[in-house]
Amino acid sequence: MPEPVSTAVAGYTLALYLSTRTGSAVSREAAALRDAASAIVASRERSVALFGAKRRVIDRIYELASECDHDGWDGEEGLCISPLVVDRAVSFVRALPDGVWLPETAPEPDGSISFDWIAARTRVFSLSVGPTNRLSFAWIDGTDRGHGVARFDGHAVPARVLSGIRELTNGPAAALRVA
Amino acid sequence: MAQPLPSGLPETVADEEELARLLRSSGHFSSTVVKASAFIPAKDGKTSVIRHGAEPREELWTLARLFLGPEIKFHGAAICKARSIREQLLDVVADEPPPRHGNIVNWPLNADAELQKAQQKELALAIAAVSRLVRIEG
Repeated sequence: MPEPVSTAVAGYTLALYLSTRTGSAVSREAAALRDAASAIVASRERSVALFGAKRRVIDRIYELASECDHDGWDGEEGLCISPLVVDRAVSFVRALPDGVWLPETAPEPDGSISFDWIAARTRVFSLSVGPTNRLSFAWIDGTDRGHGVARFDGHAVPARVLSGIRELTNGPAAALRVA
Repeated sequence: MAQPLPSGLPETVADEEELARLLRSSGHFSSTVVKASAFIPAKDGKTSVIRHGAEPREELWTLARLFLGPEIKFHGAAICKARSIREQLLDVVADEPPPRHGNIVNWPLNADAELQKAQQKELALAIAAVSRLVRIEG
């Protein structure tokens, strides 16, 4: 069962207090307590930064869903983005491990949401989240390119997809875009 | 010899002809790059294009408005040559009316819907990579 918010906040506040406390206690226990508190604070701060970055991608998913909330949104036969697709897309973003470049998003005519990792015009990994648990993906890397399908269980990003994203986004520019 | 179309254009789309794919979503491009999603075909297996280059710009937007109607918002266009489409073993065919309208056709088909999408995505990535982004100013 999740921890009540008030307890979590109280714990974090205590950790913050202990980590910044520069009292005269010099015992091994006091030092260990201070180190542990510092680790909690650092971890919490990393989580907040990460959540903020993922939050922006998730907000963008909701924006696109609102932009494409009816069939024919593209002036042709484009299908609307369903709540099921939104849920799967949000789960996918949440499942991206720390340190992975976060994607840009786009709607597609079949009601899917596309996630795009664009390192350069000719270095792109693109993945579609649709109504099923199978992800269509493709990449281009200069003259090299390919495509595939992978199953997403809602919790862990498939290894093939993750390695594809990492291959395309490792490089100097990627450091600026990492979560 | 084939008769010209009502727009005055030849029925066959030449390799060197420039095509404009209208960008219906703000997600279909980033600051300078067109995304593959902009070229993914509709349910009927076709991607609509306007047989017009980036210039004259006002004429392009007039054709776009004629094609989409007054209600549908668009943000600009991806410009590429018909040759770039054919290099992916796709084709571009005229489809008037409306004037200067065409379709990118011959997208891969597969009984496996997700695999079909992945195959289409790969080709769309290659086309997007050689397309130029033209945005509506203002």
